[in-house]
Amino acid sequence: MEEKTIRTIRAGVILAFVIIVIGLLIYSRIVAYSLAPQSKPVDLRPLPLWQIPIVYLIDYFSHGTVCLLFAFTVAGLIYEFVPKEAITKYMGSGRVAGYGLALGMAPFLTVCSCTMVPLFGGVLYAGAGIGPAITFLLMAPAANILSILLTGEMISWELAGVRIIVSATVALVAGIVISKTPWGKAVEKEHQINSAASSSAKIEIVKPPLDERLWAALKFAGYLAKQILPFFLLGLVAVSYVEAFLPEDIVGTYLTGVTGVLIASVIGGPLYTPTLVEIVLGKGMYESRHVKRRIA
Amino acid sequence: MKEVKVEVVGPEPPCMRCQAAKKAVEKAAEKLKSSGIRVEIEKVNIMSKQIVQKYGVLVSPAIAINNTVKIMGRIPSEDEVEKLLKEAAK
Repeated sequence: MEEKTIRTIRAGVILAFVIIVIGLLIYSRIVAYSLAPQSKPVDLRPLPLWQIPIVYLIDYFSHGTVCLLFAFTVAGLIYEFVPKEAITKYMGSGRVAGYGLALGMAPFLTVCSCTMVPLFGGVLYAGAGIGPAITFLLMAPAANILSILLTGEMISWELAGVRIIVSATVALVAGIVISKTPWGKAVEKEHQINSAASSSAKIEIVKPPLDERLWAALKFAGYLAKQILPFFLLGLVAVSYVEAFLPEDIVGTYLTGVTGVLIASVIGGPLYTPTLVEIVLGKGMYESRHVKRRIA
Repeated sequence: MKEVKVEVVGPEPPCMRCQAAKKAVEKAAEKLKSSGIRVEIEKVNIMSKQIVQKYGVLVSPAIAINNTVKIMGRIPSEDEVEKLLKEAAK
């Protein structure tokens, strides 16, 4: 067989896989099958301690596998096909463009934090300055593709929308405020380079054929899964206990209103280390509160 | 003997993906040894001023061959790097 035919077939097979994954998700929507775990505290509490995480994990994966598969696949695809060189070229250009790109592009470029920090440095050095750099740094983990997809799938798409808008606002405000402080200006001065990115001619990105790009996208999806899932599992074990034993009264009494927001932000910091667990935990708390409301 | 200079651009300490990219370059270089192309590989820091000045903002891992960024934000296959290196040696 000719090389071209083989490549077309390979690309076709991978595309078919992607379409099946997306199709599964749409199908689950149509038949109104919930992708989130269904365990309620009442079901979990009477179980022996060691059984709680197992029951919860089985419950989670019997529902959530499609959702995770979808999120990782799409994240991999988007990351691979986003025109990185076009974006980075403009990122260093000016202030307004810098803010715009930091907000608009951070979610797509940075599913992995080891890409994010160097980009922060690049934006800071290459001219856009500390404001856009900070905006970028805050926006990336708060609203990257993976976390938005999972939030939307597991909690609700409205909340995912809110998450995008709020992170964008906070990131933008923080960026602008910091760029106005004397401290921010000092940092900027220290790191600025005079003739930033003077030679765009030095970048000639080579694009491999479609089948290789698709395969690379899936490989990256697998890499993300390998990085995140172990922590995700640990997080789920923790969440299963929270779900079982955190009395609804506590969530209802303390985690509401202003105090609730304050406490949640303090608890949330350390819990973020296992990325994306915040979504499951958030869901647990969100639901406990609903249960309480229903009782009251 | 032809010489090709390769810079693998990534954060310091290197992340897993940059190490994978560097490995692909090393393997390709090993293969090319017999065909008379010497490849000099250097790992450079994406956060250093010199590199930003030279290339602007990059997505890691990036691979620059003879001072031209050819690959950015992905891990290339060994064969792909080999092809690029051969081209650069011409």
